[in-house]
Amino acid sequence: MDFINQHILSFLIFFPFVVGGLIFFIPNLRLAKITAMLGSIVTFLASLHVWYYFDGSQSGLQFFQSYQWIPQFGIKYIVGIDGLSLLLVVLATFLTPLVFLSLWNSDGKRPKALLGLVLLLEAGMLGSLLALDLVFFYVFWEAMLIPMYFIIGVWGGARRIYATMKFVIYTVVGSLLMLVAALVMYYAHYREFGFFSTSLLDLYKLNLPMHVQMPIFLAFALAFAIKVPLWPFHTWLPDAHVEAPTIGSVILAGVLLKLGTYGFVRYAIPLFPDATIMFAPVLMSLGVIGIIYGALTAWVQEDAKKLVAYSSVSHLGFVVLGSVAIVGDGLSPEALTGAMYQMINHGISTGALFFLVGCIYERRHTRLLSDFGGIAKVMPWFAVMLIIATLGSVGLPGTGGFIGEFLILLGTFNASPLLAVLASLGVLLGAIYMLKLCKAILFGPLDKDENKELKDISLLEAGYLVPLAVLVIVMGVFPNFFIDKTRASINHLAKNFKNYELSVSGMAAEKAPAETTQVPQPAKTEAGKG
Amino acid sequence: MLWAIIFAPLCGAILNGLILRTASPRTSHLVGVGAMAVSFTCTIILFSKFMASGGQAQVYEGMRWMEAGDFSAPLNFILDRLSAMMLLIITGIGLLIHIYAGGYMHEEKATWRFFAYTNLFAFMMLLLVLGDNMLVMFIGWEGVGLCSYLLIGYWYESDANAAAGMKAFIVNRIGDIGFLIAIFLTWIYFGTVSFTELKVIVMGSSGLTTLQLNIVGYLTLALFLGVCGKSAQLPLYVWLPDAMAGPTPVSALIHAATMVTAGIYLMTRVNFLFYLAPFTQSVVAIVGALTALFAATIAITQTDIKKVLAYSTVSQLGFMVLACGVGSHEAGVFHLLTHACFKALLFLGAGSVIVAMHHKQNMLEMGGLKKYMPITHAVMLVGVLAIIGFPGFSGFFSKDEILWRAFNYPNIGKALWAIGAISAVCTSFYMVRLLCLTFYGANRSDHHTQEHLHETPWHMWAPLIVLAILSAGMGYIGIPPVFGVENYFAHYLHEVIAMPPQAAEHWAFLKEPHSHALEFAVMGVSVLGMILGSGFAISLYKNGVSPRAVSLQQRFPRLHALVTDKYRVDEFYDSVFVQPLKDLSAFLFRVFDVVIVDGIVNGTAQLCVMIGGLASFKMTGNVHRHAMIFMVGLICLLLTLF
Repeated sequence: MDFINQHILSFLIFFPFVVGGLIFFIPNLRLAKITAMLGSIVTFLASLHVWYYFDGSQSGLQFFQSYQWIPQFGIKYIVGIDGLSLLLVVLATFLTPLVFLSLWNSDGKRPKALLGLVLLLEAGMLGSLLALDLVFFYVFWEAMLIPMYFIIGVWGGARRIYATMKFVIYTVVGSLLMLVAALVMYYAHYREFGFFSTSLLDLYKLNLPMHVQMPIFLAFALAFAIKVPLWPFHTWLPDAHVEAPTIGSVILAGVLLKLGTYGFVRYAIPLFPDATIMFAPVLMSLGVIGIIYGALTAWVQEDAKKLVAYSSVSHLGFVVLGSVAIVGDGLSPEALTGAMYQMINHGISTGALFFLVGCIYERRHTRLLSDFGGIAKVMPWFAVMLIIATLGSVGLPGTGGFIGEFLILLGTFNASPLLAVLASLGVLLGAIYMLKLCKAILFGPLDKDENKELKDISLLEAGYLVPLAVLVIVMGVFPNFFIDKTRASINHLAKNFKNYELSVSGMAAEKAPAETTQVPQPAKTEAGKG
Repeated sequence: MLWAIIFAPLCGAILNGLILRTASPRTSHLVGVGAMAVSFTCTIILFSKFMASGGQAQVYEGMRWMEAGDFSAPLNFILDRLSAMMLLIITGIGLLIHIYAGGYMHEEKATWRFFAYTNLFAFMMLLLVLGDNMLVMFIGWEGVGLCSYLLIGYWYESDANAAAGMKAFIVNRIGDIGFLIAIFLTWIYFGTVSFTELKVIVMGSSGLTTLQLNIVGYLTLALFLGVCGKSAQLPLYVWLPDAMAGPTPVSALIHAATMVTAGIYLMTRVNFLFYLAPFTQSVVAIVGALTALFAATIAITQTDIKKVLAYSTVSQLGFMVLACGVGSHEAGVFHLLTHACFKALLFLGAGSVIVAMHHKQNMLEMGGLKKYMPITHAVMLVGVLAIIGFPGFSGFFSKDEILWRAFNYPNIGKALWAIGAISAVCTSFYMVRLLCLTFYGANRSDHHTQEHLHETPWHMWAPLIVLAILSAGMGYIGIPPVFGVENYFAHYLHEVIAMPPQAAEHWAFLKEPHSHALEFAVMGVSVLGMILGSGFAISLYKNGVSPRAVSLQQRFPRLHALVTDKYRVDEFYDSVFVQPLKDLSAFLFRVFDVVIVDGIVNGTAQLCVMIGGLASFKMTGNVHRHAMIFMVGLICLLLTLF
């Protein structure tokens, strides 16, 4: 067990990578599908193992692993997990098997390559989430682009080339600036401590003067803001979503965008606290503009997928708003928890929405709202799923969306009542555009002949829709189950973001005795009481 | 026991909604009624135990639900005299309506959806009234909104129904933003969102700081915005008349007896906060009075039987809100109770009429139904007598209590009373008009409909009889002291009403003694108004629409058209808020997004191509090549460093 716990994070990164590579060489499509599915399930189980043994009462890194990689340059291979990344890791591994399930019966263009790329993408995402070395992170951050580039560019819609180029160039512009900024930090660390290091744990200790912090914060923030995407850097997103195949959209909205907000929480905020304080009002304002702007533009969309894409702009505005809500001396822990929660919830409900839009697109080869109407009559279970996903998206109490939005608004209200009130307009506008979507697709007279023969969702489709729908509700009914895992890390960051340091919780050593006596984590039940 | 009350309807909803989707309408009806019956039986037992033990408020602790940072909201429930009373209304009247609905919906192919929604509604409503903190209440608050949305849109194939459901949800959300803001303010300035703890803080001897007192002003205003949404007050009442598109039992259950009264419940639940905010209270009172009058005048000219009842509900809710505004929450809650009985009765009675008339709702096509539906006629008569405040019927006691309290309110009190009294006259007029047009005179329907007119089956009229008895007799639990007996209801609620020490002075007039002669005089004016209003209605409508009524309309054609068009408020909102917002959105998308931002992005790309072309390094759009160049650059960069 000790051995497993020490290596499991590396396993999480490299297992999908290896399986993904292997897929390309499997001659039989059926076998490739089974391999991909098994590979993703094993990865998911491994992440559940991490979830189960993760001690929510510790704010430090767990399952930590560190090797020298290029000692001359101070580059290390460091992986570790804490409450900030745990939920996202599980979200990523959870969505991947569902994606494979949705591909189970498809044999369109080069199906094997698609399977392999999805696994490579998963590896890239997990790598970015688990890496704690700047170079290592950067490599994965850029590596993620490649599979996504192909997924949109090869399997996408009519304007796929334009969309995928826009996506890649937009992102690369941001990340190149981030690279330059990282190099500046690299030297600053040498100047301050006398040795080179790209380890995040070392870089957190830097005391950069304000005039240095500002430009490098901006560079990092730009890279992350494009990824999120924060208004006004959002125009790549609708194009990418509309052109991407369903699974591309699911992964993009489900996890990829969250890496932007995760970047803020893991990198930009704790590395450059003074600059964060200075730019927090700007970021919060952009978040609020994004919330309202995204909602308004979503409202006038005629294409269901584009509507959902713009709703992402609105929802992620909430996440950014919650990440940088500064109250007194620290960040608002409520808003930060809400931001974390909203990342997961958005992944689930928007993932479900993209799957659902995919379902009707597959049947009718159109996504125009005006082509539907009254579908609830012929597809009752589809209607149930769409309504649940919609409710999660509009943040109805009892769904995960409410928990996230509520906590974000609560914390933001403490920081800036005006912005919170403006942001809460997003709650109203969200209801307007999502109910418009529901009404246009599900309700009204079933007057189009093409729609009269539509088949309700198949067992296979239910296989990936039902888990998502259930999670939307579970996340709304049992929020503490999820928050307990992140509480310590979030409180630590919120309180100490000005002098943030990440320690390593001696995870493996502590777990070993607990393992032999078969006592499952006494600390677990205490978690989060404080 | 409490858990059984709450979760029985949820079980019913799950059973009907997910498992019994192919079951016969009879089965789903039985499941729906069964769930409510279990809930109601448990409520009776719990209530008797609760009152036997003295009726002290008690908190039931559930799971710790949501905790983040310093915020915590456990899933706790409060059982006190207020929530206990609401339990009786929800489960009791809910049960009667569920029984009735089986008959009303018998033509539907699959009623599982209907009963799943109504059971879910009961569950959410129970959460709303039992929640011990604002957040649990908010779950119920939005949950009932969801059920209302689903039930209004029950016949989703009609565009009008789907649109009405959407409108209800969205207008309610405007109010919900107010509720949310109130939660934020409460937590930030009082450190808790629990009603019990809040009461302790407010009633504490140390009192609130000046800052907190100021905040209470904003907080209560924000809460009142929520009340305006849920309880259909000006300016957010517009959703309720449209909500009549839903099945009639839904109108009775949700849009008359329970959900729409949630606002009054909320204000009473935190009455101690409202007492601390005199300005808010004046706003509440004025909005309530104006809503009462506004809606009552619209009801006068409506010809759709359900629309009349809908505007009547808005108007009656205005009375309740007025009562809360003048500091007499117990009078408001008393009217809530009697109104729940007689308005449920009136809606269900109207439902029976609609069924008999083959789903025609226009009163001008009815008339003379007394002959065909004697039982329905009798119960409707009781309902009408109750709502117009005929002496001895329940509405008489509860409405007069409110008018009397308004009369005693200082400063604007007399004006509030006058508005209320005029609304009451209107109420008498339109309700008697409804009764006349429906049941008396000659039948005006076509031959085919006339042939099939008949009384409803027993399981539809039996609940009506129960409701009629309640409507007639409910008033006697709250007889005003002026008659020389104790007001049992005010005594019952006494514990819930908490006057904070800091506000006692301002509300001292509530306790002042008044001359009995004056109170009798005010009562006399009400009765006189009632007689005048009803008499006028009888003279105009006893035999269908009389020529005099027509000539009255023709004398004021523009006024009549304006009122019939409901003052064109919907059109006003549409042209002032909705359409401009839509235009703005279209502008943002078509111009800002597509032209400006993407213009800059694509322009930059073009520029790069140009510059690249000049430097004879072609931008091919080949990512591999970009990546390669990028890597080469990176390596060069690193090499030069060492």
